[in-house]
Amino acid sequence: MAAQPKPVRTESASYLGGGGLLGWLTTVDHKRVAVLYGASALVFMVIGGIEAMLIRMQLWSPGSTFLSAEVYNQIFTMHGTTMVFLVVMPLELGAFANFLVPLHVGARDVAFPRINALSYWLFTMGAIFLHLGWLWGGLPNAGWFGYANLTERYFSPGLNIDYWVVGLLLLGVSTVLGGLNFFVTIVMMRARGMTYMRMPMFVWAILITSVLILIAFPPLTVGLVFLLMDRFFGTHFYIAAYGATPILWQHLFWLFGHPEVYIMALPAFGMISEMVPVFARKPLFGYPMMAYSLALIAFLSYGVWGHHMFATGMGPVADSAFAITSMLIAIPTGVKVFSWIATVWGGSLRMTTAFYFALGMILEFTIGGLSGIMHATAPVDLQQTDSYFVVAHFHYVLFGGVMFAIMGAIYYWWPKMTGRMLDERLGKLQFWLTVIGFNATFFPMHFLGLWGMPRRIYTYGAGLGWTDLNRLETVAAFILGLAFLVLYINLVRSAAAGSEAPADPWDGRTLEWSTASPPPAYNFARLVQVRGRDAFWVEKYGAAGSRGGPMLAAAQPPGGEQAAEAIHMPAPSIFPLTIALGAGVMGTGLIVGWWRLIAIGAGVMILGIIGLGFEYPSWGEEGHDGEPAPGGGTDLRKVGVWAFLGSECVFFASLISTYIVYKSRNAGGPGASILEIPLTSFSTFVLLMSSLLMVLALAATQRGDRLWERIWLLGVAVFGLIFLGGQAYEFTHFYHEGLALQTDLFGQSFYTLVGFHGAHVAVGVLWLLVLAAAAFMGRLGKSRALSVELAGLYWHFVDVVWIVIFTLVYLMQQVKVA
Amino acid sequence: MSDAIGTMADSTVPPDGQAHRAHPGAAVYVIVAVFLAALTAMELTVFYVSALKTVLVPVLLVLAAAKFALVAMFYMHLRYDSWLLSGVLLFPLIIATVLLISLLFLFAYLAQHIG
Repeated sequence: MAAQPKPVRTESASYLGGGGLLGWLTTVDHKRVAVLYGASALVFMVIGGIEAMLIRMQLWSPGSTFLSAEVYNQIFTMHGTTMVFLVVMPLELGAFANFLVPLHVGARDVAFPRINALSYWLFTMGAIFLHLGWLWGGLPNAGWFGYANLTERYFSPGLNIDYWVVGLLLLGVSTVLGGLNFFVTIVMMRARGMTYMRMPMFVWAILITSVLILIAFPPLTVGLVFLLMDRFFGTHFYIAAYGATPILWQHLFWLFGHPEVYIMALPAFGMISEMVPVFARKPLFGYPMMAYSLALIAFLSYGVWGHHMFATGMGPVADSAFAITSMLIAIPTGVKVFSWIATVWGGSLRMTTAFYFALGMILEFTIGGLSGIMHATAPVDLQQTDSYFVVAHFHYVLFGGVMFAIMGAIYYWWPKMTGRMLDERLGKLQFWLTVIGFNATFFPMHFLGLWGMPRRIYTYGAGLGWTDLNRLETVAAFILGLAFLVLYINLVRSAAAGSEAPADPWDGRTLEWSTASPPPAYNFARLVQVRGRDAFWVEKYGAAGSRGGPMLAAAQPPGGEQAAEAIHMPAPSIFPLTIALGAGVMGTGLIVGWWRLIAIGAGVMILGIIGLGFEYPSWGEEGHDGEPAPGGGTDLRKVGVWAFLGSECVFFASLISTYIVYKSRNAGGPGASILEIPLTSFSTFVLLMSSLLMVLALAATQRGDRLWERIWLLGVAVFGLIFLGGQAYEFTHFYHEGLALQTDLFGQSFYTLVGFHGAHVAVGVLWLLVLAAAAFMGRLGKSRALSVELAGLYWHFVDVVWIVIFTLVYLMQQVKVA
Repeated sequence: MSDAIGTMADSTVPPDGQAHRAHPGAAVYVIVAVFLAALTAMELTVFYVSALKTVLVPVLLVLAAAKFALVAMFYMHLRYDSWLLSGVLLFPLIIATVLLISLLFLFAYLAQHIG
């Protein structure tokens, strides 16, 4: 166990120095975690790029045998999966958001530094699983969308999809933890004076993206859990022959998949919104509308998933609804484009590489947006579905929109991250190669799609008239590859011998430019007081609307001043890496079917979690010296638990929806009439009363009553065990009555839903027993009442979920919906 | 300038907006538990009394919502804590409810028209 973190002297230089390899493996510094994410993503960008080249080489000529159909399937699956999950998201959220959000809001780290490190190591573990197929068993091969039932064991008997499921589950957990961290950091750790309407637009984008992550990833997790159960436990969630519908996967996937587009796009919008005002030397035009637009885009993005499924036959009402919401989303998106143009208009432009990419993004993304509106029209979409027109569209959005923004962001923030400038001439060369290569690769795909070329095909016939444009695209793709080569050369040259970057090389407007390049470990020696939007600009020039000029005074920037005293920063921790390794061992055990390995991995994970929980005497994330007190007396951890519970609402809604859809599909099994109300009513009563004991335990802890604190905590745990005992009896009884997990769709959806709830109860009981043990050792008490309150929140949530399950599953057992 | 930064703030808005009130005492918790038990008993009554079958679904949904709200407001202290926490639960809860209803409608259509 680590002792209390050692103070960091303010004389300590860059966050990059010191610690050696162990320092990086155990780091919890948001900037180092960002570097780890960024470096990993740059490696995966090479892999994803090579995969793209292989795809284009295969399509160079009709009837090509360069790649077999199977290898082509693996390559295009991994290209999509890699670019979405291992390049774009880790670059935007893992690298840039991690590095910038605390600096932008004037904090010294994220809200939960060790969970931030855990996010990175889980990401790494997920990425490893996705790539294990290079070594053994073959890469995932059903597309990044993994449509059922191509992913079922019958159609994909190898390890390919096993890697994909385990890898994506780990990446999903990593992303949700990251989203939760950003949400709490932004809501709770902003500097004094930084109201919501003074936040940098990038922070707005990350805040909204975090909310999207928390509500969009649970349906994917549920879909993957069903797939995992189909492949490993013999269920049939997506197999039509057993009465199931593969459409279920499409709904669950696109409920995640379309918000995911905005999870990638919103941070890009935020990046552009930071760069454009700096290089136009004007405040962002229409700041409030830009912020509201972000929120509206995110809200609408959750209601447009059906436009990916017009071809499945959802009916005219659903088609119309999804068409309307898909068209509506163009309005706030258009607001953003016009705001960027209005910001550029009349500005004193400085044509840096970053600004080139920002301008390029506005143009290219608009083209992608326009073809997107075409997809919103159901009859038109039916003609374009599964054609290369769609490939053109999403590359204009994700490359033209997102990648251009990321490239600009690299040139813009690299000096801050590394303390070195990038070469502008190489940057502009890269820009023009990118523009030429990108447009020549993807614009012709619009025509190929309209001419009927389907996407995902590994070859095509010579007489179809597609050859010339495919050859043009292949040549252009290599030009694009050359552009990336220039980028990597530039990065290596800069890291090795780039000119030193000043603290504020672009005359920036936001707080990160007020501290050194690269920043010290503690970010700001003095905590920041914000006096207006564009906080640093206001300090330099007096007003956000000023077009610059001489600084008001050559004094210290906000927070940049050397403080005399030492600063406490979160200490390194080995437990995030330990937990991720445990998860990796579990995943390996699952894939190879060695249950002991799963048990070992689970044991390592549990020990890691307990280690994380008890690492510091404060039993939680360490406080950062001098941070502003969280508003209203609300603790960071409490907000974090609530955000997690909010995400869990969507998780259980996905499970419950599936149960209701499948519950009457009980071919051969006893069906819902097997459910016993008397036993379950008793269990419900026990769980409800356990909630009473839980609040009594909290009240006893808060008033320092150690005796009743112990009694009530043990009481809750005992009630939880009684509930679990009832569930074990129920499951055993059902099994003997002929209802096994694999019996029918009712059985599998019932056991999965109720079993997941039971697993939550079991985790709660374990948590309570640990707290009870601490209480008996005299280590709980009044000062640690929050630890009991957090466990209580989780326990009550388990209770309210059961209230819903008891009603919808047990009491409404005879009600048929679908 | 650094002095000015330290003293000339025009706003010191606490990040989450408002303070929370003290939690209730044991008596309130016990009263809530009695209500929860009573509502559960009402649910069982609705389930077993065949004359109430026609109103089974709406009544059960209202009773479950009431139980949910009681636990969330009193045991999870949303009634006493910052509005931020209520928002953090309510927004995804609304999304989850809409998701559930939407999926049921979509699959009902699918079952009727396609099978």
